[in-house]
Amino acid sequence: MPTIIRTQGLTKVYGANGTAVHALRGIDFTVAKGEFVALIGPSGSGKSTLMAILGCLDAPTEGTYELDGHPVHGLSGGELARIRNGKIGFVFQSYNLLPKASIVRNVELPMLYAGLSRKERRERALALLEKVGIADKADKLPAALSGGQKQRVAVARALANEPALLLADEPTGALDSRTGAEVLDLFRELHHQGHTLLLVTHDPSIAAQAQRKVEIRDGLIALPTGAA
Amino acid sequence: MTTSGAFRERLLEAWTEIRENLGRASLQALGVLLGVASVLGGFSISDSQRQRAEQLYVRLGGLDKLNIQPKAAVRDGQPTALQQANLGLRDEDAADGGTLRPEAIQGVSSQKNARTRVVSATADQDRPVTGIGGDYIPANGYAVEAGRGFSASELEAGAPVTILGTEAAATFFPTGSPLGQILRIGEVPVTVIGTFQERVFRFREDQNNIFRWRNRIIAVPANLVQRRMNGDAYRRVDRITFRIPDLKVMAGFSKQLQGLVKANHRLQDDFRLDDVQARIRRQNSQGDVYDLVFLLSGVLALVGGGIVNVNIQMASLKERVREVGVKMALGASGREIFKSFMTEALLLTALGGLAGLVLGVGFSWIIAHSLGIPLAMTPAAFLWAYALAAAFGFLFALYPAWKASRLSPMEALRYE
Repeated sequence: MPTIIRTQGLTKVYGANGTAVHALRGIDFTVAKGEFVALIGPSGSGKSTLMAILGCLDAPTEGTYELDGHPVHGLSGGELARIRNGKIGFVFQSYNLLPKASIVRNVELPMLYAGLSRKERRERALALLEKVGIADKADKLPAALSGGQKQRVAVARALANEPALLLADEPTGALDSRTGAEVLDLFRELHHQGHTLLLVTHDPSIAAQAQRKVEIRDGLIALPTGAA
Repeated sequence: MTTSGAFRERLLEAWTEIRENLGRASLQALGVLLGVASVLGGFSISDSQRQRAEQLYVRLGGLDKLNIQPKAAVRDGQPTALQQANLGLRDEDAADGGTLRPEAIQGVSSQKNARTRVVSATADQDRPVTGIGGDYIPANGYAVEAGRGFSASELEAGAPVTILGTEAAATFFPTGSPLGQILRIGEVPVTVIGTFQERVFRFREDQNNIFRWRNRIIAVPANLVQRRMNGDAYRRVDRITFRIPDLKVMAGFSKQLQGLVKANHRLQDDFRLDDVQARIRRQNSQGDVYDLVFLLSGVLALVGGGIVNVNIQMASLKERVREVGVKMALGASGREIFKSFMTEALLLTALGGLAGLVLGVGFSWIIAHSLGIPLAMTPAAFLWAYALAAAFGFLFALYPAWKASRLSPMEALRYE
């Protein structure tokens, strides 16, 4: 299987010498194509930092990171933006939908940055909303939707440019357990369709839904587990 | 995608963003709107006032007149023999002056005044009488309304004929037509051969007619005054007027004339010429001062609007930080964010500017109307107002756009 994520010796240091905080202390981590991996760890473990680096939102202090076969460490801001746009789909705990843009425009947004025409964007966005089961809400504002529906919109948006990797950061954290379970069902379905998923959580019961668990503790991978 | 297609896309996107954030966008456009309106309003009020002032000069007979008047050469003490022998300002000065620049001079007129008793069947008053020569009537903005003007032979011979202003006609001949009636001026019975059109000029509608005194005129041939009322052996006159439309020629002519008349007058400074240089300076500077004042206040309004704009943008930037973070996470580069901020601001500037032009026209109309002067607006005023708004819109959009584009996606996403 080709690998989607391969990191070696990733470190991240915040602050200057005297008061430096070592958030990551050397992470070697691999995710194969089509895997559903849960990244688990208590708060302060460094999992958010790792997630930011894997999502190309932040750059590591040292170490190498290859995404979908291409090294991304040391790239410029503009190049990282292009990678986020084309290769990564984000799902956040707080949905992060644009509150004043309609649902369909929220889903269109990544395609706008990819340079698709208005017509292509609209068609594809509607198809994606159909896929996550809320096509009827296309013209509503996010505020008119329930939490579970908002997270479905976020998933549709994450899938917009057919990314190599779906990165979900506590995607059920703001949902009640029933809607949380529905969203997790959606993730499992995406996994079965062949998407590569990396789910970040502090909740072991949610992590248990994944194919493989990786635990982070004090900036290091504590319990690497082979594919289940 | 072609470049123009991308630009169109960007504009559409900016328009969508504006519609989605209408409150914020209208506040942003308001600064530009008020700035443009005040620049345009200022310019058009300045233009209107200037047009009104120019109308006044034209009605007065224009800025194109150069007057020579006699002046006492001796203030106190005994005049010297030379001074006593001097001839004073007279018709020959007018004739000689007329030969200096015949191609540029459009008219020469002279004036010889008297103050005397004027009697008709119904009125008996002490009045100034204006003895006129040359083309005094058109040069001073008069026009004959009823009857006729003086013929060349009447002017030459000093015939006992008169033309009256409306006030004079109404005073001396309150009933019936004054034409053909006899008016006694001093000891001379003169025939009324015409009346002048009423002269009216109000700077503002509710003000007095500043030409009222011109309707009091009792005009007779200068030679009549000279020969039968207030004359002397040297045929002195009270004023000589040269009409020269070209101000630049007039400046040179004025110097030549000064020398010529002084030579004629045995080197005595017993005459006074209008200060042409001062007139040119005044004409050039008056409008400029107005323009500068209004331009300045307009620019201040735009700067104020711009600062308000930056503040709104910075305040909304806080509201927008997360939005920018989300967009960056979805693949917008800093460049992209910068461009979209700029496009949005420029679109708002363009729209706010247009609305400002409309409001400015309204402003100007109201002010001109309340001042009671006719509204004058020039294309230059519109261009200035819009160009300034565009420039300021661009300048004041730069900082917030740059600030937004420099956000780190991670920090922007976590921003609370």
